[in-house]
Amino acid sequence: MKHRLVRFVTAGGLALVATVTAISPSASASSSLTKVRFAYDFPWPDMELIPVIVAQKEGFFKAHGLKVSIVFPPTTSTTVQMLATKDTDVALLSTSDVVVAVKAKVPVVSIANYSMKNNWGLFAMPGSKLSLATLKGKKVFSWGDTWTTAMLPFVLKKAGLTAKDITVVNGEADTPLLKSGKVDFVTNTTNYAIPNIGGKPVQIVGKAAGVPAVPVWVYATGSSYAKKHGKTVSAFMAAMKDATQWSIDNQGKAVRYFDKAFPNSGYTHAYNVQAWKLTVPLLKNKSGDFFVQTKAQWSTLAQALVDVKQIVKAEKPSAYFTNKFLP
Amino acid sequence: MRFRRNLLGSFLSFVVVIGVWQAIISFGHVAPYVAPTPLDAWRSIVTNWSHLWPLTLATVKETLFGFVAGATLGMGLGILLSKRRFVQRVIYPILILSQAIPIIALAPPLVLVLGFGLTPKVVIVAWIVFFPVTVSVLDGLANVDRDLLTLARAYGASPWRTFLVIEVPSASTSLFSGLKIGATYAVTGAIIGELAASSGSSLAMFQHSQSAQLDAAGVYGTTLIMTAVGMSWFGVVALVEFFTTPWKRRSVARRAGRRI
Repeated sequence: MKHRLVRFVTAGGLALVATVTAISPSASASSSLTKVRFAYDFPWPDMELIPVIVAQKEGFFKAHGLKVSIVFPPTTSTTVQMLATKDTDVALLSTSDVVVAVKAKVPVVSIANYSMKNNWGLFAMPGSKLSLATLKGKKVFSWGDTWTTAMLPFVLKKAGLTAKDITVVNGEADTPLLKSGKVDFVTNTTNYAIPNIGGKPVQIVGKAAGVPAVPVWVYATGSSYAKKHGKTVSAFMAAMKDATQWSIDNQGKAVRYFDKAFPNSGYTHAYNVQAWKLTVPLLKNKSGDFFVQTKAQWSTLAQALVDVKQIVKAEKPSAYFTNKFLP
Repeated sequence: MRFRRNLLGSFLSFVVVIGVWQAIISFGHVAPYVAPTPLDAWRSIVTNWSHLWPLTLATVKETLFGFVAGATLGMGLGILLSKRRFVQRVIYPILILSQAIPIIALAPPLVLVLGFGLTPKVVIVAWIVFFPVTVSVLDGLANVDRDLLTLARAYGASPWRTFLVIEVPSASTSLFSGLKIGATYAVTGAIIGELAASSGSSLAMFQHSQSAQLDAAGVYGTTLIMTAVGMSWFGVVALVEFFTTPWKRRSVARRAGRRI
């Protein structure tokens, strides 16, 4: 009886040791990954998240020693605060958000461009005869965000108008107002506006709209996080480079990853395919590089925000960005 | 004397709220871009006053028109439903359904139909206000002293006279409770309407742009103004109640000089 008990205990112990040994490699691999929280710039997911989803699904984060989770802010202006309050580690922001944050002494720094071009502008329904020449007296939808507030004066200047010459309609949904004829123009970027409106909308974008050639979105992090976790930030950007390239090379698969990750995003597969296709040409600069920021883009944007009185003075470009974490 | 006590009580509660707010910011070491001190929020109001004043007036107008429309509709419906049981059975579930619809989902379609002007905001405010008023009128009229009604009938009072002299005063406490709830929520409706779409600026969009610029003092300052608007409407209703229901303050009723 005693022997049987000893054998039972020994066998049980061996089984336990074997189980622990069997599971420990994966457990240690998982625990060795550095956890990073990535906050999106919008309260719900859309296709600009594709590179991050691809990096998760294709193992690019893991390959660089990271385990990245996605965080959605409660409002569009909360993302930058989340960086400062350490509720996230890295985030996607609009470029103007970074300038405004620096003005408000929020300790954040841009670490890379997401897009490399300014694809923002005015959009009207397909077949409409609207143009800059006929902008006077028209109703223009605005999101009331810093980017639109900064860019709209450039359009007016190009059209030879002032703010009094148009009616700005501020709101939370642009396309329904445009389609129902309540506004003549909406303000947006090509990769969102064209799939939203459908067909071939009339567009006055980028240079044609008179807006400066500055990227719309950037990756950013908290200044103290960048100091303490520089290697992690570099690893994040290295993974994003691989994932972004993969998302360009495998657009169909990349969109399906997004569809699967967010089946209730409210966007159809067809929308995501078209929107991502329109995003891809924005991701590299003329030299074919991802992410690289320039002093000129930051000084131009900061001066634009000074001109529209969103900030009092433009800081040195180095106050806004760093390229030192780029792969 | 009672009025002064009430005023002192309100002032003390205001001081407590401001004190707690200040303490959270100071002892919690909350960064100014996350939440401001009460003084910073006040300073922001003063600095932006020339811009905020016309926006505040617009919001006051929206709440006033919407409140009057909602209260009138609510009282009318309440009376109708209390007098016609069959109509009550049919309409009451629809009223409940109307309040189950999230107003935030209702605002964008209203804007599409009614445009960006005053109308959609007034409709949203009225939508919020009418329900508590209807329910309070219904409850008030349902709880009128049956003996008084029987007495009026025995004296040969007409239904209209009975309604004016017995039912309305009896239901007034309940009615004013509904009106106070509606008055306080009215500003929420106006802000939701302004957020859905506004031609030009509005208090809600000003707050939205302050938020985008990480100006927490501006956001809180605007919130204080919105709160003040809501509280002011509550105060106005309370004052109307004070002057129109003197019997609530007297222990002995005035001698009725009128024949029923």
